Amino acid sequence: MKIEIIKEIIKKASSNEKFSVLTNLTNGSSEIFRTGITLSKNFINYKDKIQNHYNLKKSGIIDGTEIFIQNYTKPIEIIIVGAVHIAQYLIEFLKNFNFNITIIDPRKYFITKQTFKDVKIINKWPDEVFENIETNSNMALITLTHDPKIDDPALKHALKKKFFYIGALGSKKTHEKRCKRLKEIGFNNEAINSIHGPIGLKLGGKSAPEIALSIIAQLVFEINKSNI
Amino acid sequence: MRQSFKNTILEEAISWIESGQQVALATVVETWGSSPFQIGSKMVINEKGNFLGSVSGGCVETSVITECLELIKNKNSFKKIDFKISDENAWDVGLACGGEMTVFIEQIN
Repeated sequence: MKIEIIKEIIKKASSNEKFSVLTNLTNGSSEIFRTGITLSKNFINYKDKIQNHYNLKKSGIIDGTEIFIQNYTKPIEIIIVGAVHIAQYLIEFLKNFNFNITIIDPRKYFITKQTFKDVKIINKWPDEVFENIETNSNMALITLTHDPKIDDPALKHALKKKFFYIGALGSKKTHEKRCKRLKEIGFNNEAINSIHGPIGLKLGGKSAPEIALSIIAQLVFEINKSNI
Repeated sequence: MRQSFKNTILEEAISWIESGQQVALATVVETWGSSPFQIGSKMVINEKGNFLGSVSGGCVETSVITECLELIKNKNSFKKIDFKISDENAWDVGLACGGEMTVFIEQIN
Protein backbone atom coordinates (compact mmCIF):
# COMPACT_ATOMS: atom_id res chain seq x y z
CA MET A 1 0.00 0.00 0.00
CA LYS A 2 1.27 3.44 -0.81
CA ILE A 3 2.24 5.64 2.11
CA GLU A 4 0.05 8.42 0.68
CA ILE A 5 -3.02 6.20 1.06
CA ILE A 6 -2.09 5.31 4.65
CA LYS A 7 -1.73 9.03 5.40
CA GLU A 8 -5.12 9.69 3.84
CA ILE A 9 -6.71 6.91 5.93
CA ILE A 10 -5.28 8.46 9.11
CA LYS A 11 -6.48 11.92 8.09
CA LYS A 12 -9.98 10.83 7.11
CA ALA A 13 -10.41 8.59 10.16
CA SER A 14 -9.33 11.36 12.53
CA SER A 15 -11.75 13.82 10.95
CA ASN A 16 -14.55 11.27 11.42
CA GLU A 17 -15.37 10.76 7.74
CA LYS A 18 -17.17 7.74 6.35
CA PHE A 19 -15.09 6.09 3.62
CA SER A 20 -13.75 2.76 2.37
CA VAL A 21 -10.35 1.44 1.41
CA LEU A 22 -10.27 -0.91 -1.56
CA THR A 23 -7.44 -3.35 -2.24
CA ASN A 24 -7.11 -5.42 -5.38
CA LEU A 25 -5.65 -8.67 -4.02
CA THR A 26 -4.34 -9.75 -7.44
CA ASN A 27 -2.01 -6.77 -7.93
CA GLY A 28 -1.82 -5.14 -4.50
CA SER A 29 -3.17 -1.76 -5.61
CA SER A 30 -5.28 0.24 -3.16
CA GLU A 31 -7.44 3.31 -3.27
CA ILE A 32 -9.92 5.28 -1.20
CA PHE A 33 -13.60 5.05 -2.07
CA ARG A 34 -16.68 7.04 -1.11
CA THR A 35 -19.89 7.80 -2.96
CA GLY A 36 -19.26 9.97 -5.99
CA ILE A 37 -15.57 9.16 -6.40
CA THR A 38 -14.32 7.86 -9.78
CA LEU A 39 -12.68 4.46 -9.54
CA SER A 40 -9.44 3.59 -11.34
CA LYS A 41 -9.18 0.75 -13.86
CA ASN A 42 -8.23 -1.64 -11.04
CA PHE A 43 -11.72 -1.40 -9.59
CA ILE A 44 -14.08 0.22 -12.10
CA ASN A 45 -15.51 -3.13 -13.34
CA TYR A 46 -16.90 -3.83 -9.85
CA LYS A 47 -18.36 -0.38 -9.27
CA ASP A 48 -21.88 -1.55 -8.33
CA LYS A 49 -20.71 -4.28 -5.97
CA ILE A 50 -18.33 -1.85 -4.28
CA GLN A 51 -21.07 0.75 -3.86
CA ASN A 52 -23.35 -1.91 -2.38
CA HIS A 53 -20.77 -3.02 0.21
CA TYR A 54 -20.08 0.62 1.01
CA ASN A 55 -23.77 1.35 1.58
CA LEU A 56 -24.18 -1.73 3.80
CA LYS A 57 -20.90 -0.97 5.65
CA LYS A 58 -19.87 -4.53 4.87
CA SER A 59 -16.13 -5.25 4.98
CA GLY A 60 -14.41 -8.25 3.38
CA ILE A 61 -13.58 -9.79 0.02
CA ILE A 62 -16.43 -8.97 -2.37
CA ASP A 63 -18.09 -12.18 -3.66
CA GLY A 64 -16.87 -13.30 -7.05
CA THR A 65 -13.96 -10.84 -7.04
CA GLU A 66 -10.47 -10.46 -5.59
CA ILE A 67 -11.30 -7.08 -4.15
CA PHE A 68 -11.07 -6.41 -0.43
CA ILE A 69 -13.10 -3.55 0.98
CA GLN A 70 -12.70 -2.10 4.46
CA ASN A 71 -15.27 0.40 5.63
CA TYR A 72 -14.50 3.16 8.08
CA THR A 73 -17.53 4.51 9.87
CA LYS A 74 -18.08 7.60 11.93
CA PRO A 75 -17.29 7.17 15.62
CA ILE A 76 -20.15 6.85 18.08
CA GLU A 77 -20.96 10.12 19.84
CA ILE A 78 -21.21 9.89 23.61
CA ILE A 79 -22.54 12.69 25.75
CA ILE A 80 -21.74 12.57 29.44
CA VAL A 81 -23.69 14.89 31.70
CA GLY A 82 -21.76 15.60 34.89
CA ALA A 83 -18.00 16.16 35.12
CA VAL A 84 -17.92 14.06 38.28
CA HIS A 85 -15.41 11.54 39.63
CA ILE A 86 -16.95 8.61 37.72
CA ALA A 87 -16.61 10.61 34.50
CA GLN A 88 -12.84 10.70 34.96
CA TYR A 89 -12.72 6.91 34.94
CA LEU A 90 -15.14 6.71 32.03
CA ILE A 91 -12.82 8.91 29.98
CA GLU A 92 -9.84 6.84 31.03
CA PHE A 93 -11.48 3.58 29.87
CA LEU A 94 -13.18 5.02 26.79
CA LYS A 95 -10.00 6.39 25.21
CA ASN A 96 -9.31 2.93 23.77
CA PHE A 97 -12.56 2.99 21.82
CA ASN A 98 -13.57 4.81 18.69
CA PHE A 99 -15.91 7.21 20.48
CA ASN A 100 -16.29 10.96 20.36
CA ILE A 101 -16.94 12.18 23.86
CA THR A 102 -18.51 15.40 25.06
CA ILE A 103 -18.95 16.27 28.71
CA ILE A 104 -21.62 18.73 29.75
CA ASP A 105 -21.70 20.31 33.17
CA PRO A 106 -23.00 23.78 34.00
CA ARG A 107 -21.20 23.79 37.36
CA LYS A 108 -17.94 25.68 36.86
CA TYR A 109 -16.05 24.23 39.80
CA PHE A 110 -16.48 20.68 38.49
CA ILE A 111 -14.74 21.46 35.23
CA THR A 112 -10.98 21.54 35.22
CA LYS A 113 -8.93 21.12 32.10
CA GLN A 114 -6.31 19.08 33.97
CA THR A 115 -8.77 16.37 34.91
CA PHE A 116 -10.38 16.00 31.50
CA LYS A 117 -7.70 16.09 28.86
CA ASP A 118 -8.53 15.53 25.18
CA VAL A 119 -12.27 15.68 25.78
CA LYS A 120 -14.72 18.30 24.63
CA ILE A 121 -16.16 19.97 27.72
CA ILE A 122 -19.14 22.28 27.57
CA ASN A 123 -19.71 24.45 30.60
CA LYS A 124 -23.42 25.11 29.97
CA TRP A 125 -26.85 23.79 30.89
CA PRO A 126 -27.91 20.73 28.83
CA ASP A 127 -30.95 22.56 27.39
CA GLU A 128 -28.72 25.24 25.92
CA VAL A 129 -26.22 22.70 24.60
CA PHE A 130 -28.80 20.53 22.83
CA GLU A 131 -30.21 23.57 21.08
CA ASN A 132 -26.84 24.10 19.43
CA ILE A 133 -25.59 20.63 18.57
CA GLU A 134 -26.92 18.12 16.10
CA THR A 135 -28.11 14.90 17.69
CA ASN A 136 -29.30 11.57 16.28
CA SER A 137 -30.06 7.95 17.13
CA ASN A 138 -26.40 6.99 16.73
CA MET A 139 -25.62 8.77 20.00
CA ALA A 140 -25.41 7.66 23.61
CA LEU A 141 -26.23 9.63 26.74
CA ILE A 142 -24.78 8.95 30.17
CA THR A 143 -26.12 11.17 32.95
CA LEU A 144 -24.09 11.22 36.15
CA THR A 145 -25.21 14.17 38.27
CA HIS A 146 -28.45 12.57 39.62
CA ASP A 147 -29.59 16.17 39.97
CA PRO A 148 -32.95 16.47 38.17
CA LYS A 149 -32.41 20.03 37.04
CA ILE A 150 -29.24 19.00 35.18
CA ASP A 151 -30.01 15.39 34.15
CA ASP A 152 -33.70 15.62 33.24
CA PRO A 153 -33.42 18.07 30.32
CA ALA A 154 -30.70 15.87 28.80
CA LEU A 155 -32.81 12.72 29.28
CA LYS A 156 -35.83 14.37 27.69
CA HIS A 157 -33.82 15.35 24.67
CA ALA A 158 -32.21 11.91 24.28
CA LEU A 159 -35.59 10.16 24.55
CA LYS A 160 -37.10 12.41 21.90
CA LYS A 161 -34.16 11.87 19.56
CA LYS A 162 -34.14 8.10 20.29
CA PHE A 163 -30.50 7.79 21.34
CA PHE A 164 -29.44 4.13 21.04
CA TYR A 165 -28.22 4.13 24.63
CA ILE A 166 -29.48 6.19 27.55
CA GLY A 167 -28.19 5.52 31.03
CA ALA A 168 -28.85 7.46 34.21
CA LEU A 169 -26.89 7.21 37.45
CA GLY A 170 -28.82 7.11 40.70
CA SER A 171 -30.23 4.64 43.19
CA LYS A 172 -33.43 2.65 42.53
CA LYS A 173 -35.34 5.25 44.50
CA THR A 174 -33.84 8.14 42.56
CA HIS A 175 -34.65 6.33 39.34
CA GLU A 176 -38.27 5.70 40.38
CA LYS A 177 -38.72 9.41 41.06
CA ARG A 178 -37.06 10.21 37.74
CA CYS A 179 -39.42 7.87 35.86
CA LYS A 180 -42.39 9.47 37.60
CA ARG A 181 -41.28 12.96 36.54
CA LEU A 182 -40.81 11.86 32.94
CA LYS A 183 -44.22 10.19 32.94
CA GLU A 184 -45.83 13.38 34.22
CA ILE A 185 -44.50 15.35 31.31
CA GLY A 186 -45.88 12.85 28.81
CA PHE A 187 -43.31 10.14 28.08
CA ASN A 188 -44.85 6.65 27.75
CA ASN A 189 -43.66 3.52 29.55
CA GLU A 190 -41.81 2.19 26.53
CA ALA A 191 -39.67 5.33 26.31
CA ILE A 192 -39.08 5.46 30.06
CA ASN A 193 -38.14 1.77 30.20
CA SER A 194 -35.52 2.33 27.53
CA ILE A 195 -33.49 4.28 30.08
CA HIS A 196 -30.91 2.13 31.81
CA GLY A 197 -31.43 3.07 35.42
CA PRO A 198 -29.77 2.55 37.77
CA ILE A 199 -27.06 2.70 35.12
CA GLY A 200 -24.60 -0.11 34.40
CA LEU A 201 -24.47 -3.89 34.44
CA LYS A 202 -24.68 -5.34 37.92
CA LEU A 203 -21.04 -6.06 38.76
CA GLY A 204 -21.49 -5.40 42.46
CA GLY A 205 -18.84 -2.65 42.72
CA LYS A 206 -19.42 0.63 44.50
CA SER A 207 -16.21 2.57 43.76
CA ALA A 208 -15.94 5.12 40.95
CA PRO A 209 -13.79 2.96 38.62
CA GLU A 210 -16.03 -0.06 39.23
CA ILE A 211 -19.16 1.93 38.39
CA ALA A 212 -17.44 3.36 35.30
CA LEU A 213 -16.56 -0.19 34.21
CA SER A 214 -20.14 -1.37 34.71
CA ILE A 215 -21.40 1.53 32.57
CA ILE A 216 -18.94 0.75 29.79
CA ALA A 217 -19.79 -2.96 29.93
CA GLN A 218 -23.47 -2.07 29.44
CA LEU A 219 -22.70 0.38 26.64
CA VAL A 220 -20.53 -2.16 24.79
CA PHE A 221 -23.25 -4.78 25.20
CA GLU A 222 -25.84 -2.43 23.70
CA ILE A 223 -23.53 -1.70 20.77
CA ASN A 224 -22.88 -5.36 20.02
CA LYS A 225 -26.04 -7.13 21.12
CA SER A 226 -27.25 -7.68 17.57
CA ASN A 227 -24.15 -9.83 16.96
CA ILE A 228 -24.67 -12.10 19.97
CA MET B 1 -22.35 -2.25 12.54
CA ARG B 2 -20.97 0.40 14.84
CA GLN B 3 -17.22 0.55 14.94
CA SER B 4 -16.14 0.86 18.53
CA PHE B 5 -12.43 0.07 18.55
CA LYS B 6 -9.83 2.72 17.97
CA ASN B 7 -6.58 1.81 16.32
CA THR B 8 -3.52 4.00 16.03
CA ILE B 9 -1.00 1.56 14.54
CA LEU B 10 -1.00 3.26 11.13
CA GLU B 11 0.38 6.43 12.73
CA GLU B 12 3.21 4.33 14.18
CA ALA B 13 3.87 2.77 10.77
CA ILE B 14 4.29 6.22 9.26
CA SER B 15 6.78 7.25 11.93
CA TRP B 16 8.83 4.07 11.29
CA ILE B 17 8.90 4.82 7.57
CA GLU B 18 9.86 8.43 8.17
CA SER B 19 12.78 7.22 10.26
CA GLY B 20 13.97 5.27 7.22
CA GLN B 21 12.70 1.78 7.96
CA GLN B 22 11.01 -0.73 5.67
CA VAL B 23 7.52 -1.55 6.91
CA ALA B 24 4.93 -4.19 6.04
CA LEU B 25 1.21 -4.12 6.75
CA ALA B 26 -0.84 -7.26 7.48
CA THR B 27 -4.64 -7.21 7.24
CA VAL B 28 -7.22 -9.91 7.98
CA VAL B 29 -9.24 -10.07 4.75
CA GLU B 30 -11.32 -13.19 5.27
CA THR B 31 -12.40 -15.38 8.19
CA TRP B 32 -14.37 -18.60 8.57
CA GLY B 33 -15.65 -20.30 11.71
CA SER B 34 -14.52 -19.03 15.06
CA SER B 35 -11.55 -16.86 14.15
CA PRO B 36 -10.87 -14.53 17.02
CA PHE B 37 -10.34 -11.27 15.17
CA GLN B 38 -12.64 -9.47 12.84
CA ILE B 39 -12.07 -8.67 9.20
CA GLY B 40 -9.92 -5.59 8.80
CA SER B 41 -7.76 -6.24 11.90
CA LYS B 42 -4.27 -4.98 11.23
CA MET B 43 -0.68 -5.39 12.27
CA VAL B 44 2.39 -3.45 11.15
CA ILE B 45 5.88 -4.92 11.14
CA ASN B 46 9.20 -3.14 10.56
CA GLU B 47 12.45 -4.56 9.17
CA LYS B 48 13.80 -5.16 12.68
CA GLY B 49 10.85 -7.41 13.46
CA ASN B 50 9.14 -4.93 15.77
CA PHE B 51 5.38 -5.09 15.43
CA LEU B 52 2.21 -3.38 16.60
CA GLY B 53 -1.43 -4.42 16.47
CA SER B 54 -2.57 -7.98 15.88
CA VAL B 55 -4.41 -10.24 13.49
CA SER B 56 -5.39 -13.01 15.90
CA GLY B 57 -5.22 -13.74 19.58
CA GLY B 58 -1.53 -14.57 19.25
CA CYS B 59 -2.07 -17.77 17.22
CA VAL B 60 -0.53 -16.76 13.91
CA GLU B 61 1.38 -13.58 14.69
CA THR B 62 4.81 -15.26 14.68
CA SER B 63 4.17 -16.67 11.25
CA VAL B 64 2.84 -13.38 9.91
CA ILE B 65 5.95 -11.58 11.21
CA THR B 66 8.23 -14.15 9.55
CA GLU B 67 6.33 -13.81 6.27
CA CYS B 68 6.49 -10.01 6.45
CA LEU B 69 10.24 -10.04 7.09
CA GLU B 70 10.67 -12.35 4.06
CA LEU B 71 8.52 -9.98 2.01
CA ILE B 72 10.67 -7.01 3.02
CA LYS B 73 13.94 -8.94 2.43
CA ASN B 74 12.92 -10.17 -1.03
CA LYS B 75 11.44 -6.79 -1.97
CA ASN B 76 8.13 -8.40 -2.87
CA SER B 77 5.12 -6.14 -2.79
CA PHE B 78 2.36 -8.40 -1.43
CA LYS B 79 1.24 -11.93 -0.51
CA LYS B 80 -1.99 -13.62 0.53
CA ILE B 81 -1.64 -16.21 3.29
CA ASP B 82 -4.28 -18.75 4.38
CA PHE B 83 -4.24 -20.05 7.92
CA LYS B 84 -6.18 -23.06 9.06
CA ILE B 85 -5.92 -25.83 11.57
CA SER B 86 -4.42 -29.03 10.18
CA ASP B 87 -2.59 -32.09 11.54
CA GLU B 88 0.87 -31.00 10.46
CA ASN B 89 0.74 -27.55 11.91
CA ALA B 90 -1.61 -28.00 14.82
CA TRP B 91 1.29 -27.68 17.23
CA ASP B 92 3.09 -25.10 15.18
CA VAL B 93 1.18 -22.26 13.62
CA GLY B 94 -2.56 -22.46 13.26
CA LEU B 95 -5.70 -21.36 14.95
CA ALA B 96 -6.35 -23.29 18.12
CA CYS B 97 -9.95 -22.10 17.98
CA GLY B 98 -10.54 -24.13 14.83
CA GLY B 99 -11.20 -21.09 12.71
CA GLU B 100 -9.62 -20.20 9.41
CA MET B 101 -8.44 -16.88 8.16
CA THR B 102 -6.74 -15.20 5.25
CA VAL B 103 -4.18 -12.49 5.90
CA PHE B 104 -3.00 -10.11 3.17
CA ILE B 105 0.50 -8.79 3.72
CA GLU B 106 1.98 -5.91 1.76
CA GLN B 107 4.88 -3.50 1.77
CA ILE B 108 4.18 0.11 2.57
CA ASN B 109 6.09 2.23 0.08
